[in-house]
Amino acid sequence: MSSKGNDQGVDQGKGRVPIRQLPTGVPGLDEILGGGLPEYSLNIIAGAPGCGKTTLAHQIMFATATPERPALYFTVLGEPAIKMLRYQQQFAFFDHATMDASIRFINLSHVVLEQDLGAVLDAIMKEIEASKASIVVVDSFRTVVRKALNSTSEMELQGFVQRLALHLTSWQATTFLIGEYVEGELRDNPVFTVADGLFWLYQSVERNSIVRKMQVMKLRGQDSVPGMHTFRITDAGLQTFPRTFGLVGESGHVKGQRRLSTGVSELDALMGGGIPEGDSLLLAGPSGSGKSTLGTQFIAEGLRQGEPGIVAVFEEIPAEYAQRAAMFGFDFDTPQKDGTLKIIYLRPLDLSVDETVNEIVNSVKKIGCKRLVIDSLVGFEMALAPGFRTDFRESLYRMIAALTRLGVTIVTTVEVAEEFTSMNLSNFTVSFLADDILRLRYVSINGQLRKMLLVVKMRRSQHSIDMVGYQITSEGMVLGRPLRGYRGLTTGIPGPWSFNSEEIPPLQSDADVDDQNG
Amino acid sequence: MRELSRRLLIASETASDRSVHEAAVMSEKLRIPLTRFAGAEGFASLLRRALVLASVEVPSLQSIKVGLDGRLEGFEELAADPGAAAEGSEAAVAITSHLLGLLGTFIGEPLTLRLVREAWPDTSLDEYH
Repeated sequence: MSSKGNDQGVDQGKGRVPIRQLPTGVPGLDEILGGGLPEYSLNIIAGAPGCGKTTLAHQIMFATATPERPALYFTVLGEPAIKMLRYQQQFAFFDHATMDASIRFINLSHVVLEQDLGAVLDAIMKEIEASKASIVVVDSFRTVVRKALNSTSEMELQGFVQRLALHLTSWQATTFLIGEYVEGELRDNPVFTVADGLFWLYQSVERNSIVRKMQVMKLRGQDSVPGMHTFRITDAGLQTFPRTFGLVGESGHVKGQRRLSTGVSELDALMGGGIPEGDSLLLAGPSGSGKSTLGTQFIAEGLRQGEPGIVAVFEEIPAEYAQRAAMFGFDFDTPQKDGTLKIIYLRPLDLSVDETVNEIVNSVKKIGCKRLVIDSLVGFEMALAPGFRTDFRESLYRMIAALTRLGVTIVTTVEVAEEFTSMNLSNFTVSFLADDILRLRYVSINGQLRKMLLVVKMRRSQHSIDMVGYQITSEGMVLGRPLRGYRGLTTGIPGPWSFNSEEIPPLQSDADVDDQNG
Repeated sequence: MRELSRRLLIASETASDRSVHEAAVMSEKLRIPLTRFAGAEGFASLLRRALVLASVEVPSLQSIKVGLDGRLEGFEELAADPGAAAEGSEAAVAITSHLLGLLGTFIGEPLTLRLVREAWPDTSLDEYH
């Protein structure tokens, strides 16, 4: 077995032929394909100009080509080979040793221009037989077909495609036919009928952002992951972000086997002992109410107990976040150096949720993360390309589900616009995503804008129903006593509980909080 | 690329017909692998550019043309001129070095050398690796 291939987990006891899968060399793509590229398959890479077809083909070719399994790249009236190689060698996957030993480029333009389809087929097969190629790329195959359509019937074209597929398969070649197709061409096109795999690449402009997506429309012989998968092209080549986030199969984690302290013992008590491990907690509150501070305390407490943590920030850079933690007495620099804390700052404005989660999931696996803070959902949404914002709720659902499968306990902050007539849980109607919800809000009492919190929801567990005053001090969040004797606290403008009472009950003062906390 | 071109010229002279101009011999050797790689028009286009650049150094090359098939044409007239004939080696080196230089600019030295090796399979180019 080659070092660049693996046998699919096929039960040979049932007599099924094993299909070897070739690693594509494109991060995330093997998972999307259901394990890798089926050997000897004939595949089409389709899409509009500039969407990454040629780069994808090169990346796969460099990942799969070996001296024993050489590759042939036929260029046909598309991008000139000289220019194509000039640009392709800028990618990190372009390896001169592989190129030298295992890859050949052949220009077929003159055959396509001057001769018929039979001659094109002969030329392709002659080169393949001479070079013993096992990986074959024709770029662009669409050009071959377009030229043929001017001079041959549809039946002749279908015959050519079928003969080509037959010969390539007989020769045990894994083939990629690249074409600038549009989706309307899917119907009645013999190329798509014959192909074993059909990979469609999309690139769209959404306001000021470019969004790239890929769909495996067809793949014979194995289960691919359906739907649109976002991808990015960087100096390293293509990187895909599977909708499954790399998490398939059983989770193996049972939620709530123990409680995690938030770092605020009084708050833990309100929640019935802390946050159940593996839960997703939504921390909702207005600007300045202390959401980020509590998130920081949650991470700091985890570090104190030897639990690695990750903070995903969208509104400030990691150094600023660590500096703010230091103001509360937490050292976030040392654990970052030790590898027990990672503060992820995600590049704003053109992210996809899948890309974000991919980054987080990789980091979770890398450092064995137990606690994750996403600060904040508003910043996260703003960092996304506009097109992804419309699917934000659905994306969050997939993200939370994926992350909690890893056994990570997640605290997500969400800013809510404060109203003094009612109390919202969030602007995103995402509370269904959370196992637990903690609401922070301002209340106007005795001419002061005070802070109060309440535990709205703790799935599977008892919790306090008290509304409790709190302050943000130099040591972080400090809870006071339950606010008793008021009506309408949730509106933010409470009055006395008893209508007979002429005076508002005395409110716990800052001094009370200080006394209470020693 | 000039030193490499001289080396290739020496390798070509030992095996070629002395009645054919050195530049024609060398471009013909490169024509086959380069046409396979870049197509006939791609090769002809590069050769035309190399010829223009080489003509600045070897003025007698101004009368040479590149045919549609990518072959250099017009050496018969050049042979009648004793001065131009004396520039044969220099002209061959100039055209070849500019052609390889163009390739190096576009696809880099490693890929260029690979194509050169295909054209001169019996010539050792280890020191250029």
